[in-house]
Amino acid sequence: MGLVQQLSNQWQRSLQVIPHSLLRKLISEIPRLLLINLFCTLLVTFVLRNGSSIFENWVFSNAIGLCCYVLIRSVSYYLWRATPPTMLAFYLLSIVLAPIGFVFGSMIAATLFSYPITSVLRFQSRFISAFVALTCLISVVATWSFWNKIKIAELIANAEKEKARTAAIERQAMQAQLQLLQAQIEPHMLFNTLANLQGLIAIDPERAQHMLTQLIVYLRATLSTSRAENTCLKQEFILIEAYLDLIAIRMGKRLRYTLNLPLELEQEKIPPMLLQPLVENAIKHGLEPKIEGGTINISASKEADSLRLEVRDTGLGLPFNYQDVPFSTESTQVGNANIRERLFALFGEKAAFSLMSHVPEGAVAIVTLPLSA
Amino acid sequence: MINQQPTIKALIAEDEPILALTLQRMLGRLWPELDLSNVVENGIEAVHTALDRLPDVLFLDIKMPGKTGLEVAQELAEEWPAEQPFPMIVYVTAYDEFAIKAFETCAVDYVLKPVSEERLQKTVRRLQSHFQARVPNTSDQRNPESELERVIAQLRELHQIAHPQTGAQNIPVAEKLAVIRAAVGNNIRLIPVEEVIYFEATDKYINVVTAEHSSLIRSSLRELLPQLDSSLFWQIHRSTVVNVKRVKMAHKDEAGKITLTLKNSEDKLTVSRVYAHLFKQM
Repeated sequence: MGLVQQLSNQWQRSLQVIPHSLLRKLISEIPRLLLINLFCTLLVTFVLRNGSSIFENWVFSNAIGLCCYVLIRSVSYYLWRATPPTMLAFYLLSIVLAPIGFVFGSMIAATLFSYPITSVLRFQSRFISAFVALTCLISVVATWSFWNKIKIAELIANAEKEKARTAAIERQAMQAQLQLLQAQIEPHMLFNTLANLQGLIAIDPERAQHMLTQLIVYLRATLSTSRAENTCLKQEFILIEAYLDLIAIRMGKRLRYTLNLPLELEQEKIPPMLLQPLVENAIKHGLEPKIEGGTINISASKEADSLRLEVRDTGLGLPFNYQDVPFSTESTQVGNANIRERLFALFGEKAAFSLMSHVPEGAVAIVTLPLSA
Repeated sequence: MINQQPTIKALIAEDEPILALTLQRMLGRLWPELDLSNVVENGIEAVHTALDRLPDVLFLDIKMPGKTGLEVAQELAEEWPAEQPFPMIVYVTAYDEFAIKAFETCAVDYVLKPVSEERLQKTVRRLQSHFQARVPNTSDQRNPESELERVIAQLRELHQIAHPQTGAQNIPVAEKLAVIRAAVGNNIRLIPVEEVIYFEATDKYINVVTAEHSSLIRSSLRELLPQLDSSLFWQIHRSTVVNVKRVKMAHKDEAGKITLTLKNSEDKLTVSRVYAHLFKQM
C-alpha cells in the first residue's frame, strides 16, 4: 500500500509535465483502480470460490475492472464533457455500464488466455448473477471512491482559483488606491499656488511666468509618475525642484533649499512618489509651520551596493524619535507606515526607511534601496 | 467724507509675502481710505501688533506659522481692552472644504484665495456699512460690545464643530486618558486624571497641577483636550483646562471678570470672556 502510494506519487510528479489535465487525471486514478481490481480477485477467489487460480482471477478482474473504468469514463466524458455530472446520474451510469464492462472484460481476458470465448462466457453464466451483482457493487463502491476524489480535487482547485483571484483583486485595489493617493494634488497647495500666481502677474510678470512654468512641470510630473511604475532619479529630482521652487516663491525668504544628485545616479530607477512625499512632509510639518522657516536638503548617494536618499530639514522637528516608537498610532505615522510597507513589498529586506530627529534641529528621513543596475 | 471721522485701520496677517502684498494692493484699490500699513507674517506677531495698534479690521489668514487665524481671534477676544470696540474679522483661506463649511454655518466673514476682486468688493461694502452705522453713536458702548459678543459666539460655535483640519491630527475619536504620564527627571510619574486640579499650557508644555505637585508634559491643549472627559474637564481660557469637581467657587467682579477658587489649592484661575457663559447660574 505504502509502495503503491509512493509509486502513484512518483507517477503524479512525473506526469505534472503533461499539460493535458484530463489525461493526467485518468492516469493518476490507475493505482486506485488496480487496488480495487486486486480486491475483486481476492473476493472471487476466496469468497465466491469459482475454482479458478488466483492468477486467472486476477487477470479477469483487471480486464473487467479496466473495461468498466474505460467505459464509465468515456461515456461520462462523452455525455458531460467538462461539466461534472450529478452524483445520481453518475451512479446510474455506473450500474448500467458495469454488466457490459463485465462481458467485454471477460472476453478480453479469455482472449489473453486463448480460452474459447463462448465457453468462458458459458462458464461465467453459471455465476453470472453473482458476478454481475458483484461488478455492480464494486462499480458503485469504486465510483463512490473516484467520485469523492474528483469532488475533493475539484473543491481544492476551486478554492485555489478563488484564493488567487482574491489576492489579485486585493493587489489591484491596493495599487489603485495607492496611485490615487499619490496622484492627489492637495487642493490647498494648488489654490495657494494659484493665489500667488495671481498676485505675481500684477507685481512681477517675469517671475509669474517662471512660477507658471514650474507649476506645469510639477503638475505634469505628478500626474504622469502616478501612472508609471518606475521613474528615474533625474525625473524625480526635476519634480522635486519644481515643487520646492513653487514653495520657495510662496514662503519667500523663509525657505532655502539644495538638491544634490550625482551624475552617475541620474538614471537610477526608483519607485515613483517615494521621495517626493518625504519632501512634502518636511515642508508641511517641519518648515511651513516654523516662524523663521529654514533649510531643506535633498541628496542621493551611493553606499556600497545600495542607493541612499536623504531628506534633511531644519524645521520644527519631530514630537519624538519615530524609531523609538515603531508602533505608534500617531497620525503622521500612517504615512510612514505606508512608505515602509511599500518598500517592503517592492524590495523585501533590502530596503529600509528611517525618520529621525536631526541635530540640532529639524528632522532627517533616509531611504535605502538596492541599486537598480 | 466728514473731516473728524477717524481713519479706519486694518491689519493684514498673512505668511506668504506675495499674497500679503496682493491683498494690500487690492484693498487699496477698493477702499482707498483704509489704513493698510499694518502687515504681519505670523500668528504671534498678529496678536502683538493687534493689541498694540488696535486696528478696526483684521484680515486673518487661517494657516499661519505660530498661531492659526482662529487662535489669533480667540486670543484677541480674551485680551482685547474692554473699552475699545472689538475689530471686525475677515478670515482669508485657500481651498479648505471643512473651513468653508464651518464658516458658512457660523456666518463668519471670509474670502477665499485666490481672492476674487468681486468677492472682496462685497466684503468691503459690508465693512464700510458697518463702520458708517457705528460712527454716529460712538458714545454708545453697547455697539462695540456686541461685535465682541458676536465673535465670541462664532468662536464658540467653531470650537464645537471639532476641527480636524487645524493641526495635523486626523485621529478619529481619541480614547479617553485614565492616567497622565509625566516625566520627572528619569522617572515617570503616573497621575490619575481625576486627581488633576487643572492643566495650564505654556509654550511647548502643559503644567499638570494636582494637590501634591505640579509636573510638565510635552503636549498641547489641542492634542490633550480630545483625550479628556469634556463633562469633567472644562476649558476656561485658551491656556487653561480645569477639573470642575475641584472648583470651589466662581467669583465675578464689577468689571465682569470671573475668577475661580479651587479645592485643595491656593491657586486662582481666570475665566476668559470666551468661556464666561459656562459660569452663568442655572
